[in-house]
Amino acid sequence: MLPVVVVHGGAGHVPKERAEISIAGMREAARMGYAILKSGGSAMDAVVETVAMLENNPAFNAGRGSVLNLKGEVEMDALVMDGRTLACGAVSAVRRVANPIHLARLVMDKTSHVCLTAEGASQFARAMGIPEVPEESLITEYARKRWKDNLHKDANPVECQIGKMGTVGAVAVDVQGNIACATSTGGMINKMEGRVGDTPCIGCGGYADNQIGAVSPTGHGEAIMKIALSRLILFHMEQGKSPKEASDMALAYMKERVSGLGGVVVVDPKGTWAARFSSQQMPWAAAQQEQLHYGMFHGEDFTEPV
Amino acid sequence: MMKAVLVVHGGAWAIPDVLAEASVAGVKAAARAGSVILRRGGSALDAVEVAVRMMEDNVVFDAGHGAVLNTDGEVELDAIIMEGKTLGAGAVSSVRNIANPVSLARAVMEKTEHIMLTGRGANLFAESIGVPTVPTQALVTEEERKEWQHYKKYAVGVKELFNSQCGHDTVGAVALDAFGNVACATSTGGIRNKMVGRVGDSPFIGSGGYADNTSGAVSCTGHGESILKVTLARLILFHMEQGKSACEAADCSLQYMAERVQGGGGAIVVSPTGDWSAAFTTERMAWAACKGESLHYGLNPKEMFEETLN
Repeated sequence: MLPVVVVHGGAGHVPKERAEISIAGMREAARMGYAILKSGGSAMDAVVETVAMLENNPAFNAGRGSVLNLKGEVEMDALVMDGRTLACGAVSAVRRVANPIHLARLVMDKTSHVCLTAEGASQFARAMGIPEVPEESLITEYARKRWKDNLHKDANPVECQIGKMGTVGAVAVDVQGNIACATSTGGMINKMEGRVGDTPCIGCGGYADNQIGAVSPTGHGEAIMKIALSRLILFHMEQGKSPKEASDMALAYMKERVSGLGGVVVVDPKGTWAARFSSQQMPWAAAQQEQLHYGMFHGEDFTEPV
Repeated sequence: MMKAVLVVHGGAWAIPDVLAEASVAGVKAAARAGSVILRRGGSALDAVEVAVRMMEDNVVFDAGHGAVLNTDGEVELDAIIMEGKTLGAGAVSSVRNIANPVSLARAVMEKTEHIMLTGRGANLFAESIGVPTVPTQALVTEEERKEWQHYKKYAVGVKELFNSQCGHDTVGAVALDAFGNVACATSTGGIRNKMVGRVGDSPFIGSGGYADNTSGAVSCTGHGESILKVTLARLILFHMEQGKSACEAADCSLQYMAERVQGGGGAIVVSPTGDWSAAFTTERMAWAACKGESLHYGLNPKEMFEETLN
């Protein structure tokens, strides 16, 4: 059953014209993550490089393609976690880096801290020799158009999310049985400057523990935070629930208790995986035992050889 | 009517003798102030905010006034507040030069659609709602400035610094009001000589604090990075959901944190039935609890003093 990698491209409603590129991006990323794992790479390498690839893909709301805040600027959040040691690294509201997920990993590897935010995260990036990229290089025409549309009248930032969320994330188990998760996002469209969502928040935007499994979520960030979605799913798994049962229970609870929709990708130490969502859609893909699985609507599970 | 409960802490660390008395006096005063709110029929949310504000205003604690300096010699503060009825929460991270970060966190909860604001964005929000920025000198004591200069000369890892006697304390409060609502609040200036923009556990929901009417409320303190790794506040409440008492849940979670990630810390807990606990694995933690007519407090392990309120 090992290795396995599962990726998501954000829970929400994917407009028709973007469905195909979203699915293509998922399949490409899962294949790449799987190749890393097959060649003996670690779960941590696989999730980080998979998410970096999705950050570089303008079809998703992370890295290039991020949504814009109220002022029309890009501020990004990212998290990585290593299930062996529970080591984690996060950045919040970071600007002008191409791959926030790489920066999050550096926070984990090179500092005694877990999270660096805003200008401090940028200072750290400079100290690590990560090039500062022009803000324009992160902004797509699509992101700018949606930002402008949503500036109109009483556009409600929560409702506007229904357009497309597009946070990206990955979970993986490597052949050694080590587990990792990574999540990266541009956040919610037309958010206030400095708004931090669930993504960089340990236990909310992701969690990984070799003894239980790993989760990377997406959806309405504030709702995910209120119920600490990732840790909640793993609590259910500790009580004997399967990744699928645990995800469905936690997503149903989130809908009931705080009226929030979202989705998750989950793995357990044996390699059992799940991609579940309460939103209309969530593009996802999984690679295991030479098979690539993918889908976007409820009930879909297409397969093809890797 | 339920019997209201309020518990506060002033940080879990190796509090030196010179600060011991003032720390205990500080938590007792904060507990009394919060309990007055509860006894007047006020909400758990109001009570935890008042108690934490009082400790933020007290220079003996590392939050608000008395905060520590980061590597650039600046003050950056983190805070969270959460209420257990709706799971509403507000937090600020790395906000500069605000006297009462906990109240700004509450404004994030009540006046925005977001839960967390960070860095300049948090300061811009403060400005937009008329919260004044105070000069760094007003938040930092002369002793802190000296300590900072002393430690700046040495490249001391945060963990070493934490484990030494030199300073880390977060403040926090949890409460249960007469209506059965619980709330928590946590506020900190972080660790001395932390990197610019370092965010610890305090403002992170599930780590620095969590409140849920169905399971209870927790506020944490200690080595922030360790608390984050085990999402300590949510872990304690999970054990309570499984039937453990506040005391057992806090003890086994802190034990787990010590074993799994070698981190020391403390937590205060209240359950929806008024069962409460103040637990720590560090050398000391100043804490105080008000329930009924009694004020309990302590500083050293297994220590519990009692006096009558009023």
